[in-house]
Amino acid sequence: MSTLSHSTHRLSHLLHRLESGGALLPDSPENVTEVVGILKSYGVVLGEYWQNLIYISEHQFLVLFPFFKYFNGNVSPGKLIRHWFHDRINFEFSEYCMKAMFWHGGGGLDAYLDTIEFETLARRAIQAKIKHNPLIQGINAIFSDFLLEQVRQMAYYSALGQFWRVMSPMFLNLSDRYDQGEIKTIPDVVQHILDGLVAAATLPITYGVHIGGQPYDIIPSSTGLTFLADTAVPYVEAVFLRSFPFMGTTSYNAQARQIPIEQERFNYGALYADPLPIGGSGIPPTLLMQDMRHYLPDYMDTIYGDNPRGNTDLRVRLCVSFQKSMFCVTTAAIKGLMPYPPDTCEPSQQKANRRYLEGWLDRLQESRLMDIQD
Amino acid sequence: MLNILLLIPLVGIIILWLIPQASSLYVSRILSIITISLALGVSLVLLIQFNPMDDSLQFLENIPWLAPLGLTYRLGADGLSLPLIVLNNLLTGLALFRSDEAHHRPRLYFTLILFLNVGVTGAFSAQNLLLFFLFYELELIPLYLLIAIWGGAQRGYAATKFLIYTAVSGILLLAAFLGVAWFSQSTTFDYQSLQHHHLPINVQYLLLIALLIGFGIKMPLVPFHTWLPDAHVEASTPISVLLAGVLLKLGTYGLLRFGLGLFPEPWLALSPFLAGWAVVSVLYGAFTAIAQTDMKKMVAFSSIGHMGYILLAAAAATPLSLLGAVFQMVSHGLISAMLFFLVGVIYQKTGTRDIHSLRGLLNPERGLPIIGSLMILGVMASAGIPGMVGFISEFLIFRGSFPVFPVQTLLAMIGTGLTAVYFLLLVNQTFFGRLTSNLSNVPQARWSERTPGIILAILIVTFGLQPAWLTGWIESSTTALSHVFPISTTTLHS
Repeated sequence: MSTLSHSTHRLSHLLHRLESGGALLPDSPENVTEVVGILKSYGVVLGEYWQNLIYISEHQFLVLFPFFKYFNGNVSPGKLIRHWFHDRINFEFSEYCMKAMFWHGGGGLDAYLDTIEFETLARRAIQAKIKHNPLIQGINAIFSDFLLEQVRQMAYYSALGQFWRVMSPMFLNLSDRYDQGEIKTIPDVVQHILDGLVAAATLPITYGVHIGGQPYDIIPSSTGLTFLADTAVPYVEAVFLRSFPFMGTTSYNAQARQIPIEQERFNYGALYADPLPIGGSGIPPTLLMQDMRHYLPDYMDTIYGDNPRGNTDLRVRLCVSFQKSMFCVTTAAIKGLMPYPPDTCEPSQQKANRRYLEGWLDRLQESRLMDIQD
Repeated sequence: MLNILLLIPLVGIIILWLIPQASSLYVSRILSIITISLALGVSLVLLIQFNPMDDSLQFLENIPWLAPLGLTYRLGADGLSLPLIVLNNLLTGLALFRSDEAHHRPRLYFTLILFLNVGVTGAFSAQNLLLFFLFYELELIPLYLLIAIWGGAQRGYAATKFLIYTAVSGILLLAAFLGVAWFSQSTTFDYQSLQHHHLPINVQYLLLIALLIGFGIKMPLVPFHTWLPDAHVEASTPISVLLAGVLLKLGTYGLLRFGLGLFPEPWLALSPFLAGWAVVSVLYGAFTAIAQTDMKKMVAFSSIGHMGYILLAAAAATPLSLLGAVFQMVSHGLISAMLFFLVGVIYQKTGTRDIHSLRGLLNPERGLPIIGSLMILGVMASAGIPGMVGFISEFLIFRGSFPVFPVQTLLAMIGTGLTAVYFLLLVNQTFFGRLTSNLSNVPQARWSERTPGIILAILIVTFGLQPAWLTGWIESSTTALSHVFPISTTTLHS
């Protein structure tokens, strides 16, 4: 029971909703159906993404021209033709997310990749990989950081793959529980995600490759990197909040100072993205929506069916639904990282929690938060 | 064959009124489309049978009618008129195809459009001055009714204004035609006979000025243009298409056929003034278009400017400029028709033509991306971008007119630059940027709404890349027309 007075924050209605156990997304049966349905298709797509990310990190390690990296080692003329005709999963989207994490950094993984320990392990693997390749040896001798940076990127491929390996079944399980009638409200959705994050919080993040039949550790278990602190939180920060500097749905003019100088002030993430693409196609959210539309559960037809444009703007509506679901994931992350339990009766702890929540709401003021309140 | 071309729509009209089911929009529209498709087919047969090397009239029909009045039913076609006859049937067909909103008295609506088609084809084919006048007047009534009954909120005002202006135009033409016959003491109004009149030069000036004003109203040229924007704004999309695409060409065609063809000497003397008038029209049309916020008005003022190019070419009257003039008639017919079709779709979907209320319509997911792409192509063609039909016509006009009127041609060329200015303003404001939230539920354009624009876009690009497919039909006739001058225009200039 909160003993605090009514907040004067601009988004006080959202603050009080969060304090009373609600979510950033309003609770309604339509929102529950929409969020669960979209997360089910997202879960299927993430299942494809994580397998490919892990495959690339383990089997395309320092392959200079990885032409077939999206085939998971199973290349055939038929698959090639389907790939060229774009009958495939847009694995590029997962790479964009990986690059966003790599670029923004943060968490223990980012710090570890700048240590001597990592460099030693990475150089050992590099030497093993290039010992029969004089061309690459020459490049490595001239640009000694080039391959090292490639290994850092490979580490992020693996880390994101491991993160989504947990998230994918979590979303599919959410859908199963909804089908069984266990999930009825948006707080139920948030709690499911929160429970999943907490359960996986301490899972170790490790990475190693096999070269010439020999194992080479890149991120050994001794580094102590874990799921929540070193992949989940940096992922949310990079992909939901900051994202990519130039690959958003809106064009920004750096010379007109529309791009902040500090990376921390970036707000081009999924929670800020404009669902309406401007100009050309191929932007990352579009790629994800293209993938998800193939795996939508049938009941989503009732939500998207009533539309004067038919299915031509389905990707826009998927993006709106996706943003709603990501606000649920964000709510789970906010609640999971609260300084004190949400139901604390201690006034000072309640005050600290409120300051913490106000900080988040301040940050999300420019996002699509208000657009999803209707 | 030309008789058949006129008979087909008339038979179509009779069938429309004989079949009870034709009172419904669907049946009457289908019947009308079939009728005009037949007419278009016949006109294409004429095009195939036409000998482009022969500069004389072909497919002649000569039936005595009211001999005491000098009125004979005399039809014929040459390179000046045949492309316009085909254009008329093509645009009428597309206009009928897009007339799917005429729920109010559909049978009358389609009857009037078919009558309009007969009037225009007849006027382009008539080789007797009185017969031309009759057809010229015949198209006036259906067009007046089409605006007055199926137009917008101010349709009464616009239709009446159109009627008054065009009636004055008709009176001036009739006076000039009667004057030619009267003063030359001719017993016939046949065009070819009257071409060899020996009228005193001051009488010729008088008659030519009457024709210039009469056709100047129809084209229209500044300052006789004020009826056109009002008529366009109030007319429905198919009628705007016919108005800009075909009916304005009656003015330009008449100017070349009767102004230049009957009175070459005063034409030559007045040509510097005509070139100056053309420049005023071009620049006035362009500057006024820049100031418009209504897309339809912008395209309408653009038409006024583009008609000025034809006057410039006609004033220069070189073989090349006259070829450009006729090419421009077809080119403007295709481009303006396409622009009006597209503006109509935008208005139908968004409920506004105000460019300040529209934004981001090129959005691939929720906008009108194909309509937007066609619009960009259309405005590029209108601005004379190479590869499209507008470039060829403007290039021919400027290249042909420059040796005779270099200053006027250069000033008119500024109009081309200004066309790019106002159409860029339109495209930038309307199609680029983020789709505004009030437009985010714009219904998708149907293929039936896109089809006319796509057909016209194909023709615009085809004739832009391969202009010889069009100039081949025109060139002999325009070269022959330029030979009506007793001395060459180049000699005059020097």
